[in-house]
Amino acid sequence: MAHLRRNRGFVALTTLAAVSFLVMVSLFGLTGSKAPVALINLDGGPYAARLIEALERTNHSFALKSMNANKASEELHSGQLVGIITVPAHFSQEIEHGATVAIDVQIDNINVDLTSDVQRALPAAIVAFGWRHNFPGLRVRMVEHDVLPNDTGYIPYLVVSALALDAMLISGILGALAIAREFESKTVNFLRLSPASVSAVLAGKLIVAIAIATGALGITVLAIILIYGVVPISLFATLSTLCACTAIFTCFGAWLGAVLKRTLAAVPLLFGLVMPLYIDSGALEPARFDGEPIWRIAHLSPIYYAVGALEWAYHGIRVTPEPVFVDLLVLLGIAIASVALTLGRLSKGETR
Amino acid sequence: MMKQIWAMARNDLAVWLRSPAAIAAALLPGIGMGLLVAVLTNSVGQQPLALVVQGKGRLAGRMAKIVRADTDAYLINEMAASDAERAIGEQRVAAIVVIPENFDQAASIGTAAVDLYLNNIDLDLADDIRRSITRSTAEFDAPQLGLLGELHGPSKGILLPNPFRVAVAEHDLRQTNVSFLQYQVIPIVVLIIVSAGLLSTAILTARDFETGRAKMMVLSPAGRPSLVLGRLLGGTLITLALVAPLVALGFFTRYVPYCAEKSGTPTWLQAFFSGPCAWMLSVPSWTHSLALVVLLMGVTLTTVALGTVLGIAIRDERLVTMAGLNAAVYLFFLGGGFTTVAFLPDWIRTISRFVPTSYAIEGLRQALFYPDLVGFNKDIIVLAGCAMISTILASLMLARAWRRS
Repeated sequence: MAHLRRNRGFVALTTLAAVSFLVMVSLFGLTGSKAPVALINLDGGPYAARLIEALERTNHSFALKSMNANKASEELHSGQLVGIITVPAHFSQEIEHGATVAIDVQIDNINVDLTSDVQRALPAAIVAFGWRHNFPGLRVRMVEHDVLPNDTGYIPYLVVSALALDAMLISGILGALAIAREFESKTVNFLRLSPASVSAVLAGKLIVAIAIATGALGITVLAIILIYGVVPISLFATLSTLCACTAIFTCFGAWLGAVLKRTLAAVPLLFGLVMPLYIDSGALEPARFDGEPIWRIAHLSPIYYAVGALEWAYHGIRVTPEPVFVDLLVLLGIAIASVALTLGRLSKGETR
Repeated sequence: MMKQIWAMARNDLAVWLRSPAAIAAALLPGIGMGLLVAVLTNSVGQQPLALVVQGKGRLAGRMAKIVRADTDAYLINEMAASDAERAIGEQRVAAIVVIPENFDQAASIGTAAVDLYLNNIDLDLADDIRRSITRSTAEFDAPQLGLLGELHGPSKGILLPNPFRVAVAEHDLRQTNVSFLQYQVIPIVVLIIVSAGLLSTAILTARDFETGRAKMMVLSPAGRPSLVLGRLLGGTLITLALVAPLVALGFFTRYVPYCAEKSGTPTWLQAFFSGPCAWMLSVPSWTHSLALVVLLMGVTLTTVALGTVLGIAIRDERLVTMAGLNAAVYLFFLGGGFTTVAFLPDWIRTISRFVPTSYAIEGLRQALFYPDLVGFNKDIIVLAGCAMISTILASLMLARAWRRS
């Protein structure tokens, strides 16, 4: 505790990093839907209005902004819009007469993901428009049956998986700090010589690190609930899972600290590891949807199991094909292995 | 004086090369983000679907053909209904598309349905699939609503009538063949520059104060300006030593068949190596090459000087590492790493205008991927200004701190 008190700045910066990752991950989520698109309506008739309605309702695809052609072109070329949709003059009149009318769409195709979204969303809106008016000649429609009663929003999904990332980052760094400091200050041999057992010393160190990490993660959870407005379906299950993740990742961090023996080496390693491990852990969508090889690799990441457990506790959804208790058991296994390996390292003191 | 500056820079380089932890601190976040981009690329766009074709008629066959053909949107696994149910339960597929037995009869009276059983676990994934399946069903009645129709139909003057009565004339703004990975790898380069530049000088400066080396340097016969310039030159050399080989590799990988798309490389290996492989950059014209070098130098100098300021302000190696990594994360994300700043809320865009990396990322993309250098003047003026201000600030603070030590 005294060590950590002397490293208040370090603990504060670790907590800041956790909140930063949460904010940054949600920035990524903000660009995942509702592409900003200019709408130039040169018609103004009833059919144009209904097409615009269909565009607005199409699967969170467009954030339509009505504007004139000059402003739209200026914003498109300065990278503020994904595209411009122009509904031509006499659109309603020609539709009324049964003719087919082309709407002009300019796309800034700099980003493949956004371009594909727009390219797929336009036909979806046109289909909705066509079926609404029940035009003759339409034969096929898509009938959707959802597996889950509700969609989970993208930001709510992301911020919960970001909790797993935060848990690994904060707990890992604090766990690493607690052990690496003993090597840095060359007090590790004293631990071996002290009348208390190494396991008791390690337990004491880990309990403090876990307590502080839990406090820091508590702040993150509060931010998710109060600022993002994402409320867990079960607060008890969420907090319990989070505490378990914190404890497990602290043990993992302690092992890393014992192996690397330097805070300066452990911190960047954790920083470098957490983002790829996070993304390959079902953070954006269930990992198996990214393909079997990626999914198999994901099993090497402790965050995979943590995301699985946290999404279940927070939203009640299963993002891993394995049952949640298996996720928790694997995490427990990681914790036990980490503690055993850390004890091994500490018992050898500075001899290695 | 030049000799003294060079001696100081060489010393910093030698100290840094003997600090594997500092090298790791500079490289690992960038490498981590590079791997992240590789994984992300793999998951962008295509979703695994089970296709169950129960209808045996001609129209059912045509519908199935449309779904199978949209390889940009789907990774199709054709299977029986029972296998598909198992697959969605085991998350091997995100959705099941069923073309029912009575499809042909229903289509003949205008009531055909394609059933979509969707794992709507998150909105982004679910919406992607909804949009794609709807487009496929639209193509059945109106082939022009497919991607080829959007790109080569009405926009090329071919407007065929369709029962939805609306067609799309798509005009792409850019003639570019930049892949998602290439596009996203630019912020990674900037992140590596930021991490290396910021952390190398910050750690070296903080270490000077922690170990008392600062006092020895002040007592050395070299003048303070030489020491200050030597430190900044050292940081710049360290950063360039890390970044230059990466950029060179980016150009070189174009000639390595192993790195090419569809090279048959196992996916896990591609995910691991696609950070450097994905660059596959074409050698730009001399104007663009010059712009590239100027931009890289601008962002390097800015971060090296900012690192020095951080080191002086904090003077603790561990704290400086943590603060530097935090700063690198902010500079990366707010500069446009993995996001398109222009599409974010106004207040974030306003903040981003004050983040120098946003100008670096934008400028580098222009220099590497586009025939013109739109906005380059603004980018370089901002970066040069930042480099100048931060260098002056770092020089003044370093000289003062050493004097006081």
